[in-house]
Amino acid sequence: MSILVDASTRLIVQGITGREGSFHTQQMLEYGTNVVAGVTPGKGGEAVHGVPVFNTVKEAVMQTAANASVIFVPARATAASACEAMDAGLPLVLTIAEHVPVLDMMGVYHLARKKRCRVIGPNSFGVISPGKAKAGFMAHRIFSQGHVGIMSRSATNCYETVFMLTNKGIGQSTCIGNGGDMIPGSAFVDILPLLEADEQTQVIVLIGEIGGMEEELAAEYIKTQVSKPVVALIAGKNAPKGRSMGHAGAIIGADGSGSAGSKEKKLREAGVHIAQSTADIVGIVERLLQ
Amino acid sequence: MDLMEYKAKELFAEYGLPVRKGFVLDKLSQLEDLAVNMEFPCMVKAQVMIGGRGKAGGIKPAANPEELRAACEAIMGMDIRGHKVERLLVTPRTEITREWYLSITLDRLEKMPVIIFSALGGVDIEQTADEHPDKIVKLCIDPLIGVQRYHAWYLVSKGGVEEGFIDSLFEILKKVYDLFCGRKCMLCEINPLAVDNTGKLVAVDAKVSVDDSALDASLAALRDEMEQEALVLEARKHRFLYIPCNTAGSISVISNGSGMLMSCIDIITKEEMCVHSVLDLGGGATADRIKEAIRIILEQDEARGLFINIFGGITRCDEVAGGVKQFIEQYGSQKLIVVRFEGTNKEKGLEILRGIGSENVVFADGLHQGVSALAERGMRQ
Repeated sequence: MSILVDASTRLIVQGITGREGSFHTQQMLEYGTNVVAGVTPGKGGEAVHGVPVFNTVKEAVMQTAANASVIFVPARATAASACEAMDAGLPLVLTIAEHVPVLDMMGVYHLARKKRCRVIGPNSFGVISPGKAKAGFMAHRIFSQGHVGIMSRSATNCYETVFMLTNKGIGQSTCIGNGGDMIPGSAFVDILPLLEADEQTQVIVLIGEIGGMEEELAAEYIKTQVSKPVVALIAGKNAPKGRSMGHAGAIIGADGSGSAGSKEKKLREAGVHIAQSTADIVGIVERLLQ
Repeated sequence: MDLMEYKAKELFAEYGLPVRKGFVLDKLSQLEDLAVNMEFPCMVKAQVMIGGRGKAGGIKPAANPEELRAACEAIMGMDIRGHKVERLLVTPRTEITREWYLSITLDRLEKMPVIIFSALGGVDIEQTADEHPDKIVKLCIDPLIGVQRYHAWYLVSKGGVEEGFIDSLFEILKKVYDLFCGRKCMLCEINPLAVDNTGKLVAVDAKVSVDDSALDASLAALRDEMEQEALVLEARKHRFLYIPCNTAGSISVISNGSGMLMSCIDIITKEEMCVHSVLDLGGGATADRIKEAIRIILEQDEARGLFINIFGGITRCDEVAGGVKQFIEQYGSQKLIVVRFEGTNKEKGLEILRGIGSENVVFADGLHQGVSALAERGMRQ
């Protein structure tokens, strides 16, 4: 099965005529993703890699019956594009850009709940269901199809893990880039029910990091609602205090909130296997699958 | 980005919040010109990015021009816990009858702006929060609803303030919320929000922190001007992110993502070594830019060794190796460089590295192997 994106995904690329949008549209098409439309205001009627371009998402949806959008526009235009996608009724919107203002995302977050839309990102590599489809910019060659579902706040830590898993012959069901920002459209706790329900997923990997309460909330949920084994890594244990570590969300408060210690404790209490490094994740997953 | 009081008050004034108009002083010689129409008594306030400046002697009253000059001379150039005073704000003194506290920040859990209010404001607000948490009122504002009159009523009734303040408090709430959302702030704080001797509310102090992702050109320029760390600034000019970690550390790390940098710090620390600083290249760095990143670290930073760890998605391995080669050709090879890369054009990158022919450049095939190489080459203190 896999989750969020697969062969039934009919994807729009917002910002398709831009450098990133155009390049990654090509990459997504090569991977087999069904990219049905692009949107760039003022470029309606053109085509990019054979994909028709529309001026608005609404027109693109009416013409192509699209059911998801990935947004490749600059950070400060991301929220407006996400609102347009939600307004057009799309149930899945992936935001990629880094440095989207937090309050922009706050608005998107609340609108998404009102519109019953699932937003992924920002500051995310997107979502990939190996062998089926990808929506985003991840280096897809390292992924392989299998039974490990991964959600990660960090792209690089996810890549590193996937690379080692694939080298050991362990494939993935779906990998989700939750993104490194303070207000992610979807947190771990929003993705967990999908992975729990997904028949293809046998083991769940959670790659978290310092800052915020997402891992703690995930632990609460896992304790009572998740039957599948969960492996977690919390990055940034030894990061300097009070400094945002590049990911806007990865910061420990002056009161010590968001520390790795509290996250690991809560996850461990929920029966989650705690890994100390990406290599350690792979070792634990290997044992769990035997 | 945290703004100094004078800058925060400029934003306050722009949004119609009640601040007393004063002037900003960078040099004592400007005093004669700027103080012409000054109202007395006034206050001279050090502009530094650190709290507790009043208790440290960084705020002084002045009743006449002579006292004003004396106060400015005393405070300008002062060292307040490592922060040198280079700018002063002079404002008319407000006759304060009561001090309240009002701020808006982001509640990360609720994903909403949260108003924090207390009728017991002033310099001891943190003590109030510890000892009388019931005197601190917190109220989340749903961004789809915004600030409404009932919010002011809630603060007044929960905060123990007379109902007569409803109108003036509501006005301030609306304006501070407009500022918070309009300028995409992470914090807007008024402490104290003073009731003056005529019963009016005045923002006597102002603290504003703006989201780094939402700076306009003028704030971005101001941020560069105020940046204390030379390497942070230089890295920023090259669109890199430099983060100092531990001055006692021996190793710096360059990588292409925040998560990987954090993982590197964790693994290096676990292997009983210490990270001095890290530099995030971002995606798709070319050989030229990678050379600059290495130069920033090895030519200027105190670290003894460098770990370059790249998982190439957008960044190509041959560009990484090319950057190392360019650096060595230009600056020589005195310090240890351990290179690990994986992904696009790895073989081509390896070939370039082998061609460098320096024993201080070591390739490691994997993250853990890289960290081991650092240990073997004497990076444990």
